[in-house]
Amino acid sequence: MSTNRTIIAPATVPGRGGVSIIRMSGDLSKSIAEDMCGELAEAWRFKRCSIKSRNGSKIDDGMVVFFKSPNSYTGDDVVEFHCHGNPTIVNLVLEEAVNRGAVVAEPGEFTKTAFLNEKIDLVQAESVADLINAQSEMAVVAANSSLSGQFSEQINRLLDGIVKARVVVEASIDFPEDEIDSSILESIKEELQGFLAETNELLSCVKEGVKLRDGFSVAIVGPPNAGKSSLLNLLAREDLAITSEVPGTTRDLVKTSVNIGGALIEFVDTAGLRSDPDGPIEEEGIQRSKEVIKKSNLSLLVQDATDIKEFDLGLGDSFTVLNKSDLLEGGFSNSDNTFYLSCSTGQGVDELLGALIVRLGMGGGEETVFLSRQRHEISLKSGGRFLEEALMSLGEGQVLELVAESLRSAHAALGDILRPMSADDLLGEIFSEFCIGK
Amino acid sequence: MIVIGGGHAGVEAAEASSRFGVKTLLITHDKSKIGEMSCNPAIGGIGKSHLAKEVDALGGLMARATDKAGIHYRVLNSTKGQAVRATRVQTDRELYKSAIQNFLSSSVNLTITEDSVVDLDIENSTIKSVTTEKGEKIFSNSVILTTGTFLGGVMHTGLKQSSGGRIGDPSSDKLAQKLRGLNLKVGRLKTGTPPRLNKHTIDWSLLSPQPGDTPTPLLSYTSQASERPEQLNCYMTRTNKTTHQVILNHLDESPMYSGVIEGVGPRYCPSIEDKVMRFSERDSHQIFAEPEGLNSDLIYPNGISTSLPLRAQKELIKSIKGFENAKIVRPGYAIEYDFFDPTGLKHSLETKTISGLFFAGQINGTTGYEEAAAQGIMAGINASLKATNQETFELQRDEAYIGVLIDDLVSLGTKEPYRMFTSRAEYRLILREDNADMRLTEKGRKLGIVSDLLWQKYKEKKDTTTHEILRLKKDKLKPNTPEAKKIKEQTGEDISNNTSLFEMLKRPKVLHSHLPQGKTTLASNAVDEIEASVKYEGYIKRQQIDIERLQRNENTPIPEHIDYKKVVGLSNEVKQKLSEARPVSLARASRLPGVTPAAISLLMIYLKKERQAVG
Repeated sequence: MSTNRTIIAPATVPGRGGVSIIRMSGDLSKSIAEDMCGELAEAWRFKRCSIKSRNGSKIDDGMVVFFKSPNSYTGDDVVEFHCHGNPTIVNLVLEEAVNRGAVVAEPGEFTKTAFLNEKIDLVQAESVADLINAQSEMAVVAANSSLSGQFSEQINRLLDGIVKARVVVEASIDFPEDEIDSSILESIKEELQGFLAETNELLSCVKEGVKLRDGFSVAIVGPPNAGKSSLLNLLAREDLAITSEVPGTTRDLVKTSVNIGGALIEFVDTAGLRSDPDGPIEEEGIQRSKEVIKKSNLSLLVQDATDIKEFDLGLGDSFTVLNKSDLLEGGFSNSDNTFYLSCSTGQGVDELLGALIVRLGMGGGEETVFLSRQRHEISLKSGGRFLEEALMSLGEGQVLELVAESLRSAHAALGDILRPMSADDLLGEIFSEFCIGK
Repeated sequence: MIVIGGGHAGVEAAEASSRFGVKTLLITHDKSKIGEMSCNPAIGGIGKSHLAKEVDALGGLMARATDKAGIHYRVLNSTKGQAVRATRVQTDRELYKSAIQNFLSSSVNLTITEDSVVDLDIENSTIKSVTTEKGEKIFSNSVILTTGTFLGGVMHTGLKQSSGGRIGDPSSDKLAQKLRGLNLKVGRLKTGTPPRLNKHTIDWSLLSPQPGDTPTPLLSYTSQASERPEQLNCYMTRTNKTTHQVILNHLDESPMYSGVIEGVGPRYCPSIEDKVMRFSERDSHQIFAEPEGLNSDLIYPNGISTSLPLRAQKELIKSIKGFENAKIVRPGYAIEYDFFDPTGLKHSLETKTISGLFFAGQINGTTGYEEAAAQGIMAGINASLKATNQETFELQRDEAYIGVLIDDLVSLGTKEPYRMFTSRAEYRLILREDNADMRLTEKGRKLGIVSDLLWQKYKEKKDTTTHEILRLKKDKLKPNTPEAKKIKEQTGEDISNNTSLFEMLKRPKVLHSHLPQGKTTLASNAVDEIEASVKYEGYIKRQQIDIERLQRNENTPIPEHIDYKKVVGLSNEVKQKLSEARPVSLARASRLPGVTPAAISLLMIYLKKERQAVG
């Protein structure tokens, strides 16, 4: 059984890890993969390859494997890319495949396809249904958390503008004898150019990961020399994420924004705390830490595992991080909120990061901020393309019904991000705006 | 087959089933009113001419009758592209009516009887017979109800009310009562009409004339120019501040604003009271003075539909330039009437609850002659198919405005009188006036309802356009030739390399007439079709991809008796929506408001599971 859609999504939880797997399923899988990686090995065999972008530059060195229908996860042709566990790389691979005709999978779509192709037992139908529901909910959460108030506002403004333009264009088409105030039609070129610029700006915002959300904020607190700064450096390692140093509001705070799995996390490193403050400076330090904790989504209390101190910080949602685990003698194991790690060996960092991603609602399945970000990006790109097309039709002597068609497509694409609209809603806008009818 | 009602839906339904070969009885309360245009004397307009041409392409009557009665033709949007161009025809009411009645009288399988239906006999959710006022009981298991505004019709002029479906005609109260007792959802709508004026009491010198288009187009694919009567001008005038003051002074006597009317009126055809209230910043609205016919003394002042009392109407008319001494022959009124929630229908227009009972026209919440005719012909076809145990005939949204109309009604219902607009059609570039025959005539011929004449015309047009497209692709325009220079002069378009005529025609400024012509002269509708299909090619290809994707879901049927409660994972809201709407395919389910892609996935999984369990 073949499907028309070729879908793609990461098969591994985003964030840090040695390897990320990106799975693509559908008729176009093989040809897209060959375009990106060169000729594939025979089915079910890995091949080492360089994954290349359209302009020929190398994205990553990795492995690629082709599963021929029907012997694959979904039952359709499937290709898996195994690349380095870096979200930026994963993002680029997805983007390249999408540029070549794949689409980002809907929540639970891989599993659904597998079920429909009878790769999954009939008995499992209900769990597939549950999964789709769960994933859809997660997608909503992820989409919400990927949109900051400012970003949503901008999209809403853009959509309002496009709707207004559509109202005038459609009214001029459907009611040529009514007295439509066509002043907007005269300035529509500038309007569209404005929308295009806005769309492109939003697109670059999405790409850079700024504005999408003011970011999750994670406070790092603890005694001096427990390894707070080392932990931050480790989390901010270059192969893990894009980081930027921002000077703290006071000389004691260091804020570092880290892009993990497509979402921005701001780590705030505080000054070291002493357990029994015996001076005004320490008192102030405690106070300041408490404030930072209050403003954060989560706190990491970093302690020296060999020398644990007591603090009364009013920690809300928090993890206790016990550093220098390499110096411990005897066994130790993580609990829900306690993580042993060693900043000097790097051991245990992955576990902490994984827990962070889950706790902040950024992962735990196929549906992540990362994927919804991908969908936004694709929507914005095609929205921009349709706006350009509308402008072209305008330039060629006002072929109004083609302008209308391109604007409809642009509206549909951009509406996907926040609020789709039906034909009848648009008519409603027309009737409230203009006095129509003889 | 029994068709109840002789309006625009009824006549198309009766004629279609008669052409189909089914013995048909048309019951109407007054034979002389068959084909009456009870509102404005015009056919066509944006979106509506598309419907009329589609009905024509299926062998229907409306466009042919219009061409025998058309006294003023205009192509709206003529400066825009083919997809949104629309023909509008002012017609002579009497000529239109007699054209329709003539067509019916020569219809072989059709009998017309003057009577009123007062009861429907339904057994086991199946229609068995109808009982008439004259006491006749007529048996049939296919009944099409096209009673328009006659069900529970109440007319308002000022605060006075009278029962009726049209001035001078009774409403069908007994039938309305019967239908209200059936398990069908009833709603109430409102529409209005302006006062009619005496032609000889208008000072025409004060109005601005609007001549019709030359060359004069035709609406039907088979009409001849010689069938058209003499052409007249239309005229325009405007309301003014005084007019608006009159309306404001009498607002407390308006049934709309005093709360007497409960029905919902259309947003796009507001009464003059509505216009003045809602757009208070405007101090003038246009009025089109439309002749009702060649020999008629009546003028239809389009744009001032009102339900104010006669006194106020007189004052209102007097305030208008050119109407100072105009006499009102018949006052304007608002009419409220029952309609049946069309979501209770299948796409075949058969009611979901009563087998063999079909509804078409205004009874389904639409407005307009063309919308009625479109439903009428489809109900006629489907009732005939049902009577002969054949599969239903449905048109998809990408095939015809008829498909958009019926799908919108049946899937979404309507809150106001539903009128067609091109913006309702997502495949507007495909659904054009120029290609309704290319889209539908073959289907109609297969059903056996397309005449030999139409079939012949269709085949000729198809042949010539196919040959012409081949010629355009084959013939090249060379730079620096006289032909190239001529195009440069006319359009400003340069050519630097040998370019096919087809490629030239893709350029927005180049029309077919600019190109070197072939040996055969083409009919103008063939030229339109060629230009449109070349210029829209890229867009149409893109839409085709959408259509194909949808097609798969269109082809995934949902069993009629599915129990949505058993579909795991659906929210209660979605379950309820689906249980009420009972869509027949996944695609139709996906178009219901509130049904998410995730819900469709869940439904797909359930259907697959069921199929496996059975197989």
